[in-house]
Amino acid sequence: MTSSLSITSPETAHRPRLSWRTVLPYGFAAAVVGYAIAVGGYPATVVGFALIYAVFVIGLNLFMGFANQVSFGQNAFAAIGGYTSAVLTATYEWTPLPAMGVGMAAALVIAGLIGWPTLRLKGHYLAMGTLAIGLIVQEITVEWTSVTQGYMGLSGIPPMGAFGFEITSDRGQLIMLASVVAAATFLSARLKRSRMGRALSAVAGSEEAARALGIAVARYKLLAFLLSAALASLAGSLFVHVVGFVSPEVFGLHMVILTFTMLYVGGIGTIAGPVVGALIISLLPETFRGFKEYQDLAYGAALILMLIYAPKGLSALFSHRRRP
Amino acid sequence: MADFSYIPQVLVSGLGIGCVYGLIGIGFCVIYNASGIVNFAQGAFVMLGGMITHGLLQRYGLPLLPAALIAIAVVALLGVVLERVVVRPLWDRKATMFTMILATLAAQIVIERLTLIVGGDQPKTLPVFTDLPPLQIGGVAVSFQLLWIVGASLLAVGALAAFFRLTRTGKAMRACAINREAAALQGIPVSRMLAAAFAISAGLGAMAGILITPTQYTAFNVGVPFAISGFIAAIVGGFGRPFGAFLGGLMLGLVQSLAILGFGAGWKTVAALSVLLLFLFIRPSGLLGAATK
Repeated sequence: MTSSLSITSPETAHRPRLSWRTVLPYGFAAAVVGYAIAVGGYPATVVGFALIYAVFVIGLNLFMGFANQVSFGQNAFAAIGGYTSAVLTATYEWTPLPAMGVGMAAALVIAGLIGWPTLRLKGHYLAMGTLAIGLIVQEITVEWTSVTQGYMGLSGIPPMGAFGFEITSDRGQLIMLASVVAAATFLSARLKRSRMGRALSAVAGSEEAARALGIAVARYKLLAFLLSAALASLAGSLFVHVVGFVSPEVFGLHMVILTFTMLYVGGIGTIAGPVVGALIISLLPETFRGFKEYQDLAYGAALILMLIYAPKGLSALFSHRRRP
Repeated sequence: MADFSYIPQVLVSGLGIGCVYGLIGIGFCVIYNASGIVNFAQGAFVMLGGMITHGLLQRYGLPLLPAALIAIAVVALLGVVLERVVVRPLWDRKATMFTMILATLAAQIVIERLTLIVGGDQPKTLPVFTDLPPLQIGGVAVSFQLLWIVGASLLAVGALAAFFRLTRTGKAMRACAINREAAALQGIPVSRMLAAAFAISAGLGAMAGILITPTQYTAFNVGVPFAISGFIAAIVGGFGRPFGAFLGGLMLGLVQSLAILGFGAGWKTVAALSVLLLFLFIRPSGLLGAATK
């Protein structure tokens, strides 16, 4: 594994050589987004959703790819961010940015409170505990009808904007989303090469060994969890502002499976993987659009096949086949 | 608000749902003991039990009992298929525990969606097994369905105990639970035991689904909440102890019924999940202590 795409192991944490293989995933992403901006309309909507998911998956990748932890409950934080944005802007007529900030703060506080005891868990317990957190938040969005309207959902959420300026056009929204994804990708690339990134990759290798090296394992795990929750919350807020509507199904188990598929297809632990995975998984099933049940079926089956035959994702397949 | 005179009645119905959680919890333990795998698709079996029985009743006009038995057999077979198609390839590749969890969770989604496509999204129910007015015992109404649930569950638990104690296959499975490598060295076909564990577990899940459906409803998406309740039952009982799981299920059923009385039916899943988190944080080894592996 010496290719510059699979920078998952500590020894490749130095600045990678800028080869065409490093650039290709970004080129692909830029081409797809550029095409969508140029064409507008329906392709812009599809790519827009892909970019929102990309933000979420970048967060998932920080926690699962970099630190090798497990969370099936990150959708909880997307729901917290999304619903906080929706309620504050639609019901209380706040402007989007402060509402998004409050949503992110709420997600961080809750992630901190539940992260501390949850991250001590291991194996199946951690998996089931995080799955439970996602489901609890979803149940609350269903049952707390006085605030969330339950299954009816909240509508009339204004588009993203600031200082009296609203981004209403497809292209404008796409440019905004692409900038957010670019910033998040940059952040995760910087993080990977930072002291924290190295600590996380030590934790990923072996918690015991990392602890023996003097790394504060619990603190770094929590930090990765918080960053991941913040990005999930951001994705949730972006979603409600782009769509203008939110209901509990948006942040359900469907989202968990979908985002895991994106992460695996793109390549878990890589920098460009989340964006590439999100774009590919959003573009591929376009032929199934309108048959939501077939989509989930396809995602689930694809995920199982990936886990069995290509657990390192498309990027690994690619770098293996084209090795010079 | 809460009326205390309802408490005995509530506890009785909690017992019924508790038996069902217990059966699902045993299903988790049987697979876990044979393989160390936690099967997150367990809820699919519960859902399929109710749905297939409903299909057999509606489409082919079978009487309830044969329909139920056929459904249990079909779901047990599907358990083996799941083991062959999803679990075995990962097992052979020495996949990590996390990969296994994710793959079985994905299998759950695939089964749910297939059921949705075949059976539609309308909730379905089954007729009660004995259509008589409930018995009145000391001011508490006991429905015949409840008697069926408790009776059938106890029968299943008893049969399972006998199976593990008396039959060759049962003893071999227990040997796998104690030490898989040593069992393999004794000539026990460990991988066949894994398939058997999936069959038993799927059959138990289907049975639980059939028993509970007349008192509520079934639909393509009821599986995950049931699976989580069964998992909680297994944790409360100390993971890997089938009979502890049954007791854990009873406890969870009672707690959940009291929560419904106190807070309303909508919050029962939140109540169950909170029990889970509480146990995970405070006493992850369960009430009886985890089975030593």
